[in-house]
Amino acid sequence: MTHEATQITSPTKPSEILLHLGPQHPLQPGPFLLDLKIEGETIREAELKIGYIHKGMEKVFEDRTYLQILPLTDRICYLASNSNNDVYCRGVEELLGIEPTDRAMYLRVLTNELCRLQSHLLGIGEYATDVGFLTMFIYMVREREGVVSLLEAITGSRLNHNYARFGGVANDLPPGYKEMALKTLGELKKQIKSHDEMMSSDSIYQRRTKGVGVLTPKEASELGVAGPPLRATGVEYDLRRMEPYLVYDDLDFKVITQNDGDVFSRVKVRLLEILESIYIIEQCLDQMPSGPYKQDVTPYITRPKAGEVYARIEDPRGEMGMYIISDGSDKPYRFRIRGPAFATAQALPPLLLGGYVADVAAIAASMDSCTSEVDR
Amino acid sequence: MVDEKIDKTIMIELSNTFKDAVSDVDVPSPNRAVARIDPGKVKDIMQFLLDNGFDHLSCVSGVDYPPDKMEVVYHVTSYSAPLVITLKASIPRDDPNIDSLCGIYWNANWYERETYELYGIKFNDCPYMKVLLLVEEMEGEWPLRKDYAGYPDLT
Repeated sequence: MTHEATQITSPTKPSEILLHLGPQHPLQPGPFLLDLKIEGETIREAELKIGYIHKGMEKVFEDRTYLQILPLTDRICYLASNSNNDVYCRGVEELLGIEPTDRAMYLRVLTNELCRLQSHLLGIGEYATDVGFLTMFIYMVREREGVVSLLEAITGSRLNHNYARFGGVANDLPPGYKEMALKTLGELKKQIKSHDEMMSSDSIYQRRTKGVGVLTPKEASELGVAGPPLRATGVEYDLRRMEPYLVYDDLDFKVITQNDGDVFSRVKVRLLEILESIYIIEQCLDQMPSGPYKQDVTPYITRPKAGEVYARIEDPRGEMGMYIISDGSDKPYRFRIRGPAFATAQALPPLLLGGYVADVAAIAASMDSCTSEVDR
Repeated sequence: MVDEKIDKTIMIELSNTFKDAVSDVDVPSPNRAVARIDPGKVKDIMQFLLDNGFDHLSCVSGVDYPPDKMEVVYHVTSYSAPLVITLKASIPRDDPNIDSLCGIYWNANWYERETYELYGIKFNDCPYMKVLLLVEEMEGEWPLRKDYAGYPDLT
């Protein structure tokens, strides 16, 4: 793997062709342009061009009050809206010097893990479509429906939840939630185990995905990836364990790793993480203390002291960081979003080199990118 | 796996090794450290951090402080420790340029291109300095600068 190739050059030999994938393609999660220089079936050079849905969020946030930014953080990536809310709120809470209540911390962990479930389920579903396994997409979306309904019961919305608040959360659990959740999650656990069995025993699927798009631990850290693609190489890097935030310290969970670093391992990590997240949610429902779910006083206009903070979270896709500089006014002076999908997308072109055109869809989808967050 | 050896003592080593280039060292919490660095020494400092286990460049951002200053902020961390080091390099606003880190951290490339197109900060020796997110016509607009007045609506 050469790490230098960031710019594609024109074909020089008659056997080489330039192939554009995108910016609009049925296989893509969003618009991006992947330029490939291929020789026969082999990819010689690759370049990813992004920015088709650049929204200028960092600029927009400089012109909004802290409370107005909160619903906009959902829109960075709708599949990770809860974790984006949470990391933003933790950043502002650190600037304000307040802490969420105990119950709110559990509620945030609960919703973050539900969010991880639905993101992984859709991620695997989209990936399955791309490798020609459409049945799995239907299964995954069916399973995801239950999880989204669980989120809807707490937050009131199905996609952009806007749930965390400074010092707490927007509302408490509805009555009878625990029974409802345990029923849905028990069913989900059974289904995921059977899907995992199906994927691990299907020889055609394995030939399509094993040994394809291999990342070694060294390459993965050089390329700067995090999240499931990194854990699939065997590196135990998970911010929930590395830098425990909220109440992850009090919860029991394993950091899921696989050793091969190929397409199969990346999907396997997501499947196993779904089971681990269900286990975390069950613990949350058991251990959740009673008490207020938000602070008594939540100021409408928030003016943190001048200062700066870098808050980060283990998003479904990796490490989400927000760097907020406050100048003492009611709006942030600078707001930097360090998204996990941006880092993963940058690592895609070197990963494709030397592979076959037929594997591009499988490799790209197994990285689980989100164009909305890459472009921001 | 958490490597216990990588911790905030690196900040003492850093300021001892680069006496003139590192200043205002602050450790606000166990997992965060902040320092100001001399923009001319950025490559040496980053190479030193990489050699000491800080193998993950998390983020590169620009910050605009009109009328005369800009800052490039680096967040460096490790795959085996929770410490995030924030390094800030102040550069003049009328000629913003700083050395590129592409030779040290491969993934600096996209972050530097993004900072370039949004702030107009040039990264010397970056192998491929071109707009990343914006359309090419917007190169030279530098939209995230504080005095940016908006792009004419031509529709």
